[in-house]
Amino acid sequence: MGNLSRRGILRASVQLAAAGALARPYIANAAATTATVWWIQGFVQEEDVAFREIVAEYQKVSGNTIDYSIIPYAPMRQKIVSAVTSGLVPDLFQNSPTELIALYAWDDRLVDVADVIDTQRTEYTETALLSAFCYNSVQKRRGYYGVPYTTAALPNHIWRPLVEKAGYKMEDIPKTWDAYYDFFKDVQRKLRAQGERKVYGLGFQVTTNGNDPNNTFNYFLIAYGGQDIVTKDGKLHLDDPKVRQAAIKALAYPATAYKEGFVPPGAINWNDADDNNAFHSKQIVMDLDGTISTEVAVIHNEQDYKDIVTMGLPLSNEGKPVPTQVANAFGLIPKGAKNVAVAKEFLKFFIQPSVNNVYLKAGLGRNVPCMPSIAKNDPWWLDPADPHRVAYVTQGLLGPTVPSLWTFNPAYAQVQNEHVWSTGWTDIMTKGVAPEVAAENCFKRIEEIFAKYPIVQS
Amino acid sequence: MSVTTADGMVLAPARPFARMRRAAMVRRYLATTARVLFSVVLLIWTITPIYNMVMVSLEPAGDVFSEHIWPLKPTAVSFWIVLTQGYWYLEFFWHQFGNSLYIALMVTLLTLAIGSMTSFSVGRMRIRNGWLVTNAALLTYVIPASFLAIPFYLIMNSYGLHDNPWSVIAALVTFATPYAIFIFQEYARSIPIELDESARIDGASPLQIYFKIYLPLMAPALVAVGTYALLLAWNEYLYQFLLLSSKKSMTVPVALAQFTNSDQAPWNYMMATAIIYALPPIATYYAFRGRMSSGLTIGGVKG
Amino acid sequence: MNSASVIELGRPVAPRRTLLRYWQGTLRGSEFTWAIAFVIPYIAVFFAFVVYPVIYGGWMGSTPRLYGELFSDPIYQETVVNTLLFLAFGVNVKLFLALLMSGFFMHPGWPTKVLLMIFVLPWAVPALPTFISIHWMLNGEWGLVNNALYTLLGVEGPSWLNTRWLALGAAICSHVWKWLPFWTVILLAGRMSIPHEIMDAAKVDGATGLRRFIYVTFPLLANLYLVLTLLATIFLLGDFNTVTFVTGGGPANSTHVLATLGIRDAYDMGHPELGMAAVLSALPLMIPLVIILMRKLRTTEVQL
Repeated sequence: MGNLSRRGILRASVQLAAAGALARPYIANAAATTATVWWIQGFVQEEDVAFREIVAEYQKVSGNTIDYSIIPYAPMRQKIVSAVTSGLVPDLFQNSPTELIALYAWDDRLVDVADVIDTQRTEYTETALLSAFCYNSVQKRRGYYGVPYTTAALPNHIWRPLVEKAGYKMEDIPKTWDAYYDFFKDVQRKLRAQGERKVYGLGFQVTTNGNDPNNTFNYFLIAYGGQDIVTKDGKLHLDDPKVRQAAIKALAYPATAYKEGFVPPGAINWNDADDNNAFHSKQIVMDLDGTISTEVAVIHNEQDYKDIVTMGLPLSNEGKPVPTQVANAFGLIPKGAKNVAVAKEFLKFFIQPSVNNVYLKAGLGRNVPCMPSIAKNDPWWLDPADPHRVAYVTQGLLGPTVPSLWTFNPAYAQVQNEHVWSTGWTDIMTKGVAPEVAAENCFKRIEEIFAKYPIVQS
Repeated sequence: MSVTTADGMVLAPARPFARMRRAAMVRRYLATTARVLFSVVLLIWTITPIYNMVMVSLEPAGDVFSEHIWPLKPTAVSFWIVLTQGYWYLEFFWHQFGNSLYIALMVTLLTLAIGSMTSFSVGRMRIRNGWLVTNAALLTYVIPASFLAIPFYLIMNSYGLHDNPWSVIAALVTFATPYAIFIFQEYARSIPIELDESARIDGASPLQIYFKIYLPLMAPALVAVGTYALLLAWNEYLYQFLLLSSKKSMTVPVALAQFTNSDQAPWNYMMATAIIYALPPIATYYAFRGRMSSGLTIGGVKG
Repeated sequence: MNSASVIELGRPVAPRRTLLRYWQGTLRGSEFTWAIAFVIPYIAVFFAFVVYPVIYGGWMGSTPRLYGELFSDPIYQETVVNTLLFLAFGVNVKLFLALLMSGFFMHPGWPTKVLLMIFVLPWAVPALPTFISIHWMLNGEWGLVNNALYTLLGVEGPSWLNTRWLALGAAICSHVWKWLPFWTVILLAGRMSIPHEIMDAAKVDGATGLRRFIYVTFPLLANLYLVLTLLATIFLLGDFNTVTFVTGGGPANSTHVLATLGIRDAYDMGHPELGMAAVLSALPLMIPLVIILMRKLRTTEVQL
């Protein structure tokens, strides 16, 4: 696989990055202590390799040791919960699941990392900074409880050959929200007329498993104008008629599409991988799914890689740009960690744009930076030869973005974990409930949940 | 139909026998047909999910989810990738396989040892209030294994067994031993206590009775429980998942779980891994199956 | 004493009891030490790995408020129903089939032997990939089952995992599929150890086939069957793999059982205490079962 040479190049880049003048000021603590780090396994092997190289470089430069374990995604979540519950925590881990930062900040289980963020404050996007600014209910204040180092968003993924088979060109796709997705219903009709029994136009993840359905719902909610359902101060605004309307529409559109037969019937019970399976076997024409892993997964299949089109979000029905809701990966330091100093120092080292860039590039652009300068300084990110990456970077980093709603109030994280909105979809799809009634049920439950998370100050 | 002899005598009794014989033949024919039909149904029921696994493992990655019911372009490349650790989820496959083996063997040995010693003391030596021990063992099952996950994680850490195969071994021995004690108690009832007593009178120490009389006679039960413990440890998922975090200490079931957590995994590799991983316990079971049933059929029904 | 008479099954029980009274309480010094030594390993294991976690788990789930939260959750109520259905059908169908199958496999001849070998496969193969395989098989659009139905019979199968009852049924069938071999083998061993003389005597008395089963075989196996039912219930309550990988708890969290709900609450929702509470809520069912099992084991005289 050419690992050796790649590794050599990576090593060289990391060394170069670290050798930059920026490295020195942050390595103040040369006391040669060890910090325990749990790191999520990357999406591709190169990410893990890059991480190892970065750790090796840090150890060389600082004299400290990083005792790290690279842990696959789901075990990571179990281990973090078990560790925090039992009090036997590592010095650094990430937010798996993503909303962990908000939940643990609420419970005052995280160490404030404002000093780490301050080292690169000007580099970060405003959204990334907002995403780290979570509320601590014990200290009754907001603070920076995580150090962001990647951004992820949901682009639309489309099979060009299927669109063309239906007799259309990619340029024919409408630009506003409802019309955009209606287009794929038409593609399905045309494909079915040609005898394609098993193809479906829309890959909406109307399931109650995993986080994909929450993302899908949130995107629709924001597109219909419901962004202010939770405002920066953490207050819930279900009394706002604009929000209510948006929620009803966000419940109605995908569920109705499902009922009308434009979404695969199995979608109601999809797990995390099923939508990707359906997309890759061309059962669905489009998929609204997080990151460009869908494309990166087939990077070795040139034809497929070229045939998938990555598109940002369409405009809202009123013709305005729809902000993209992003999620970040954070480095979190739990309270009770034994070596907070080294953990912080490692993070400072890690988020230097040059080092961060090496890590993210190794992931083949599946996650984009949260620092615009990285994309601007390294032409790789906006290299027109790779349309997927360009579209994704433009959407997730350079375009209008908003943080995840649970940042403002962790109650929303519980709303997502309970799949309140997805249950609303299910009511509409299988129980024949009207969208307004389903919405009322959701609202009721959401109000109950928010009541458990009172935010005292502004 | 009556039989007439050469000298004209009619042998009446031939008739009902013939009819009976024919009826018996028809019954046997029906029974055999029923057995064959049932066997076919059983075969289909048992094999189908496994067939699906094999089919997926033999297909190239992209074809996994389509409409055919047998592999159109079968290829064994996924097996080769697994065996040569050619994919990064599998980069420590043989090491993890070794971990699984180590854990399974230790669990089996310890379960057999502790289980047989306990049931020997309680059942044969009749230690006073031994029933407390067996009942306490059953209490282990009051809270099923999957629930004790968090407490187990905590205590394993406080015992210093973090990321250590012995944490898994301890957990699995804890869950397998009560069952072992139960089986040993049941089985030992068929071994007369006079044996122990006469050996005792002959001056044998309990240790000698244990090794020379008890264990050899319990052989079939030992094999049965050993197989159970082996399979339990080999295929167990939740505790290995929770207690073993790094790639080098993981076992194969945990490595398999990695595939389910990625957006787009090569399912053919995953199924190939599963199939290769399933071969040792299957082989072990088949190797010992004969001893298990032969031990039980001394003087009994031939099977 | 030769070993042939060792396995003298069907021996009357009474003489043994007087011997036992002779043994009880008369363990002399060194023997007593040995007896204790043999029992210590398990007691150590028990205290280290059962008492400690159980107490900790009990402490975690001890806030009454948790139970209020639990019982008011509609998913919890559905889950209890699912669990009970799972138990009722899973255990009984499994064991009844195991009983029948054990009779089936008593038949001599190599085809039966080969069939038994194949039959054991579901138990021997790890759960995760097989259940995922079943999950794929049952997919409405591209699963093997519907593909086969369409190719061989021209019939469009239903979406197996899209409605609560079909999905629950699928989970129960998967569970039975995996564990039936295990219980069948145990019952088969039990059957094989029924002394030949008893079966022959029954045959001489004219009892064959079904009558022999009802009047001779089953009564001998009855106690074992009961104990196995209890054990199967206990094991099934802790079964996490089946529902997780076959249905994922869906659609819409409608096929969860207590085991999976507990894990979901603990890890996916980040509420370990709620997870423990969900589990502990099964205690009213578990404790009586275990008590009955204990009593059965103490007083039973199963002639194996």
